[in-house]
Amino acid sequence: MKVVGARLPRYDGVGHVTGRTTYVDDVRMPGMLHAAALRSPHHHARITGLDVSAAEAMTGVHAVITHADVPLLVYGHLSGAGIPGDEPLLAKDHVRYRGQPVALVAADTVEAARAACAAIEVGYEELPALFDVRLAFEDDAPVVNDTFGNWYNQYEGNLDVRQIRKGDTEAAFDAADLVVSGVYRTQSQEQAPLETQVCVAVPEPDGRLTVHTCTQAMYFSLGVVCSHLQMPMSEIKMVGGTVGGGFGGKVDTASDSLTALAAQKSGRPVKWRWTREEEMLASGNRGPWHMEIIDAVSRDGWILGRKMLTIHDAGAYGRFSVYGLTKHSFHHTGAYSIPNLHFDGYVVFTNRIPTTAMRGYGVTGLSTAIELHAERVARELGMDPYEFRLKNANRVNDTSPNRIAYEDPSTVEVLQSLASATGAELSDELRTMTRDQRTGDMLPEHLTAQVGSGGGH
Amino acid sequence: MDLTVNSVARTVQSPPLASLLTVLREELDITSPKAGCESGSCGACTVLIDGEPRRSCLTAVCAVDGAEVTTVEGLGTPEDLSRVQQAFIHHYAAQCGFCTDGLVVAATAYVSAGGSADTAAISDALAGHYCRCTGYVKIIEAVAAVARGDEFDIAATASSANNTYVTIAGAGS
Ligand code: FES
Ligand code: FES
Repeated sequence: MKVVGARLPRYDGVGHVTGRTTYVDDVRMPGMLHAAALRSPHHHARITGLDVSAAEAMTGVHAVITHADVPLLVYGHLSGAGIPGDEPLLAKDHVRYRGQPVALVAADTVEAARAACAAIEVGYEELPALFDVRLAFEDDAPVVNDTFGNWYNQYEGNLDVRQIRKGDTEAAFDAADLVVSGVYRTQSQEQAPLETQVCVAVPEPDGRLTVHTCTQAMYFSLGVVCSHLQMPMSEIKMVGGTVGGGFGGKVDTASDSLTALAAQKSGRPVKWRWTREEEMLASGNRGPWHMEIIDAVSRDGWILGRKMLTIHDAGAYGRFSVYGLTKHSFHHTGAYSIPNLHFDGYVVFTNRIPTTAMRGYGVTGLSTAIELHAERVARELGMDPYEFRLKNANRVNDTSPNRIAYEDPSTVEVLQSLASATGAELSDELRTMTRDQRTGDMLPEHLTAQVGSGGGH
Repeated sequence: MDLTVNSVARTVQSPPLASLLTVLREELDITSPKAGCESGSCGACTVLIDGEPRRSCLTAVCAVDGAEVTTVEGLGTPEDLSRVQQAFIHHYAAQCGFCTDGLVVAATAYVSAGGSADTAAISDALAGHYCRCTGYVKIIEAVAAVARGDEFDIAATASSANNTYVTIAGAGS
């Protein structure tokens, strides 16, 4: 073991402390233009007119990009995985969230670019906006998403709900001594990296483009840019890997495609650096989750079954939300083993900023709900919460909601360390419990069918 | 306007109300002060003006005519790191590094003014700096180590500019 436990210096440490690390905003190009975006002032509106002629005529303005300039306007972040695209790179007929980009201007200075944005004439007819995921299913709810309606409807081809069915949930609820329900709602969160979204795109003399990117996902972003621009990957060179913080928010390809288009149209290098305000108000954030959990519980503290309904607020467009919800469904029992499951999950669209990854995508808010619920169940049972958790904790060969047998679950050790760190008293039995496959008292009847099979039912 | 930037006399052509941040980055090509917010909130643009840490994004360049401005480039080089720079490397106080230049500048002002190794005093001195990556603990440890007079054995590190892997003496094998 040369690395584990060793004290290795960061390879980029010296650059970081001496001001030598080159972030995207530090890239210098002769003749570089600066870009600014015109963004929607409305949460939801129909676009009735778009006139950029005054902006184009202004001194110092070299390119104005609108939807008409984008070779492939609608492309989805998961299109490569077969999920239809729903988000236009620039708004065309509608704006679906406040801050949605409508046009990009490249000019000699950022001030000139902003002034030109102000000179663009856009006609809007405001539409009622949808903000509460629970109202998305009403007949008279405003329709948010052109491609999917108000919730994603193409799981496994044509299902509008992500479902998990495992075991016999009805039997578990019939056998329950106690049924405990709870509703948990987590809010959105901005990743807030110190470096805002930024890109420098450079047209090369041979017609290729070099794109200096702050992306967290280089080859993924390369695919997105190539798709929007309809250029082969051999003609776009992405330069990146030095990111001033991302935390998930730079998984979205937020600025690369538009900056590349502006560079192409103007024939000049272009930099587009978002302001802090844009970063906070218009960049993808961690979405809110609405989670309803009902557990069937036995008097002696076993979770026999769970029913769960999740509504994920994706914001106006899908981006990665379908992936996030699927991951969420696979984890909806958290660190605990529950053999009988009935899970329904929806990706719902609202007139909010499209949401995206942030540290534990789909699972972080879920863990909050699961642990709060565990606490609630333990209280209703009058049982020590550690005992309740340790009993139900995942053990070797317990199976996950998607029927994967756990090979190395760490719940038992984590709970024991937590108890010792906080001075909570554990009985000898709980203190010496291991993660080993269930036997004896720890293998109650309701778990016998799933343990060790790896295939569940 | 005339400034001394990192000990070099510079004449500046930017408009008098341009921010010092813009002048440093765009006119003088000194890119270590970062535009994290351009509204005085994050500290990433911090430079020393006549030895005092100041936010260059909120400083009109005309207000510092004749002053001595120091950025992190003026504090040490990869071949000759300052003690604060050594400490930031040794204590892993820089992760993405975007906040680091401002913090190294502010920490340098703190220790040169005789600041102590007291954690509360260090937190107080660096209170205006956001770091989204580290959680601050390692930054405070680094500054405390300098204030205590710790020695950092990073001879190997100092010769390792330009993203090559290096070995710190005493690392496990
Ligand atoms: S850029 Fe000056 S304080 Fe943030
Ligand atoms: S190291 Fe990334 S913000 Fe501080």
